[in-house]
Amino acid sequence: MQPVQKSSLLFLLAVGLLAGACKKDEQNVDPTDDNEAITTATLSLTNTASATDVVTGTIENLNTSATFTNATLNLKANTTYNGSITLLDKTKTPTVDATEEIREKTNEHLFVYMYMPTGTTTSTMSVTLTDRDTNPAPGPYPVGLTTRMQTGATAGSGSMHVVLRHQPNSKDGTATPGSSDLDTSFPVVIK
Amino acid sequence: MPIHRFAYTLLFVTVSLLPLTVLGQATCTGALTGRITGQDNGQPLPGASVYVRERQTGAITDTVGVFRISPLCPGTYTLTIEYIGYKTLTIPATVGADSLTTLATIRLVPDNHTLQEVVVTEHRSEAQKLLQVQAGLSGNALNATRGQSLGESLKTLPGLYSIQTGPSISKPVIHGLYSNRIITLNNGVRQEDQQWGTEHAPQIDPFLATRITVIKGAAGIRYGSDAIGGVILIEPAAMPTAIGLGGELNLVGATNGRQQTASGLIEQALGGPLKGLSWRVQGTLKKVGYARTPDYFLENSSYRETNYSAGLNYTRQNVGVDLFYSQFATRIGLFRGAQVGSLSDFYAAIARTEPLRQPGFSYALDRPYQDVQHDLFRLRAFVRSDRWGTLTATVARQQNVRQEYDLLSFSRSTDPELYLKLVTHTADLVWEHAPVPTKNGGRWTGSAGFSGITQGNVRRFLFLIPNFRNYGAGLFAIERYARGRWTVEGGLRYDYRWLRAYFRDEVTDRVTNQTRDWQNVMGSLGATVQLTPELALTGTFSTAWRAPNVSDLYSDGLHQSAVAYERGNPNLNPEYAYNTNLNVEYNRNRLRVDLGLYNNRINNYIYLKPDSVPIVRQRGAFPAYTYNQVLATFRGVDATIQYKLLPRLTLVSKTSLLFAYDHTNNDYLVYIPPNRTDNGLRYDFIGTDGSASRRVSGLYVSANVLYVARQNRAPAVSERQENGQLIFTGDFAPPPPAYTLVGAEAGMRWQVAGHPLSIILTGSNLLNRAYRDYLDRFRYFADEPGRNIMLKLRMPLGQRKS
Repeated sequence: MQPVQKSSLLFLLAVGLLAGACKKDEQNVDPTDDNEAITTATLSLTNTASATDVVTGTIENLNTSATFTNATLNLKANTTYNGSITLLDKTKTPTVDATEEIREKTNEHLFVYMYMPTGTTTSTMSVTLTDRDTNPAPGPYPVGLTTRMQTGATAGSGSMHVVLRHQPNSKDGTATPGSSDLDTSFPVVIK
Repeated sequence: MPIHRFAYTLLFVTVSLLPLTVLGQATCTGALTGRITGQDNGQPLPGASVYVRERQTGAITDTVGVFRISPLCPGTYTLTIEYIGYKTLTIPATVGADSLTTLATIRLVPDNHTLQEVVVTEHRSEAQKLLQVQAGLSGNALNATRGQSLGESLKTLPGLYSIQTGPSISKPVIHGLYSNRIITLNNGVRQEDQQWGTEHAPQIDPFLATRITVIKGAAGIRYGSDAIGGVILIEPAAMPTAIGLGGELNLVGATNGRQQTASGLIEQALGGPLKGLSWRVQGTLKKVGYARTPDYFLENSSYRETNYSAGLNYTRQNVGVDLFYSQFATRIGLFRGAQVGSLSDFYAAIARTEPLRQPGFSYALDRPYQDVQHDLFRLRAFVRSDRWGTLTATVARQQNVRQEYDLLSFSRSTDPELYLKLVTHTADLVWEHAPVPTKNGGRWTGSAGFSGITQGNVRRFLFLIPNFRNYGAGLFAIERYARGRWTVEGGLRYDYRWLRAYFRDEVTDRVTNQTRDWQNVMGSLGATVQLTPELALTGTFSTAWRAPNVSDLYSDGLHQSAVAYERGNPNLNPEYAYNTNLNVEYNRNRLRVDLGLYNNRINNYIYLKPDSVPIVRQRGAFPAYTYNQVLATFRGVDATIQYKLLPRLTLVSKTSLLFAYDHTNNDYLVYIPPNRTDNGLRYDFIGTDGSASRRVSGLYVSANVLYVARQNRAPAVSERQENGQLIFTGDFAPPPPAYTLVGAEAGMRWQVAGHPLSIILTGSNLLNRAYRDYLDRFRYFADEPGRNIMLKLRMPLGQRKS
């Protein structure tokens, strides 16, 4: 009966080992962490005629339910603005400036801006991308970190739709390739 | 709880039915008994059938290969002994006047010929003599699938399908059910490898198996609750007993994806003072590049696997100890063209007929990819006695680490987006009692057992499922009574489940938890009767239940690859399944028919409600789904017909039909496998009696045509406005059209330096047809792979006979 004893001893030993291996790791819960969270988008517009006339709209909590309290851009009609966009990830400590990272990879990013008037109103706003990436011919292509925005003569309200397209190895100057990293809208009032 | 009452009724019915089958008519009291072993390895052959021609009666051998037939009058009889993979043997047997005649051990000769076509369906399979409908892959049929994933290999069986996420991820589907509704037993241990979504494939090296058995339908009594859909058993070869060193080398190459796979094993049974000790080491390396559709390559659809295992066994007469360790590690690339940031990206991708980017071939593997490692350590010991039967104890520890890396846009992070570590401990104790013969010639066999499980899960980075701890315990008993042409089986099982999930409040950083527990009893009843030597009927009825798992209850996150925000429902109740199976097997001369009918009615069937409201996040809008429960039925037919047109030419036809319905909403269910039929011809060049001196043996060629119908029973795809919100119903795109694929296979054994080298050449999608499959989650983005030619070589090593 020796082997029986031996085997049962081994068995008990293994049970003990396995039972001892149970740790309560699951009770320490890690916070949720997104490598590419964007919590904050800020669109800052400077009147080309007056450097002190700066209009800023900020959308917070983009990665969850989004807060638009300070998002509205109050603009003057018939005015040209220099625009710049900043994206932040405040879930990290210290806060990560995603715009800086995008600036390093401009060859695969494109910001797409589109103004849409509310309802049947006819206010307009045109957007020109003023920066360029370093893609080889037929590039370079625009990026959209900096822009020139021109309001039309008609007062009214609308929204500036901003989409960040990620286009690795496929950027061709259009919005079609790639996928969206950011897709949001700033409310706009033109007076 | 009605299920309790039901189970007790079932037990009562089982017990009261038994006397009905005991319709003894003979006045003779003689009995015939004997033991059947394989000539190749001397191992007993449980489940072999012994048929007495003159009396049209028979018996099935038990787990130690022993059969007993009674009552028999004195006289000479003709016995036909059949066992899958072995040559059928017909021997005379004389029953004397004494009450019991014991025959000398009957050794069956392996049949290489049958192995080649085995004969994918069979019943009363050896390992577990459960009456449930089973199908299996072994011998040449299994060798022909080498190099494919588990999900892909099983697709050749009727009633089995696979749900895919591109060419690199494939999950088995049994009768329309998958994931946590199927239990996979890897070498006797319940595989726990995080099946939280359709993109989570089982982590098993199919090269470990010499046989893969599938139990179709609810089979929870023996293997635990949750097995509403079925059970997959990965059965490795028995440890070697013939003294000496042996081994095997497998090589696989494929044109599509330029797969390179090598798998080998070395094993040894020791002699002298170490007699009874044996060991085996095994390993597999696999590398696959971009898959090619007829018109373009699928960027980043490459994957790699590195698997190894080691086993040590000591068996001496009636006791044995067995240690086993295995590691499965894989890195799976996901097709880059299926990466979409939001619903609008998704619709744009669906609208394209071809992916935007179509690079050339590469083995490159970059984000997005999954990195998964599964470790299993198992210790098993058994004690056997003629009087008490066999007691087997198994303890195991499994660790599954899953890391998912998404495509990064701007971040320099090297972290994954998802990290989940699941550690599972299981303990099982099974007692198989010694067969109890009854006075009237019948025989009771059965088993009872306990199983326990505990799991702990730790997550990091993004939230998909919470940290959790669970405990489960189960008690079961199965009894089987066989007499003459009848076998009746009944089983009962009780299970308890406890689950606690841990959550962290992102604002206060406080950890809270939620606890739920469930318990239930389930039962099964089955009978099989050999009406004539040619015709056997089997009927089973079983109940099963499945407690909602942690992802059903608490998942809360974005499935980037599935473009869906999935929300769990913490109030879900367990699913209850009522599964009826009827099987007819007819075998006469040149015709073999295997017909299975099933009906699986599931109360509280948990699924993602197709109605969804969009949720807006930084990347844009996503459809959000929640889990809800309905009454669902899964009904179907599995049919296999084999007809020998000529002695060497066989027609093989396999058809699977499935009808699933949601009775709560009076609608169809999403992702239900479409009907299909696979018809082929096979020609064998050399007969079974080919002499051993021939260099080439078992040469065959076959060709088949697979037709997969369009799934017309799918929920309608629509969008509607409700309270100012856009609501999607059904799928994103209608099911793809029907398709027909042509395949071919050729194989032979070639004697090289005294070793039989097995060569199999398979071709799939030979006409290079562009098609999309309803069960592929990437069907919105790209076609399925085109033509693929695979070469599979298998060479036994060492001095053992194959």
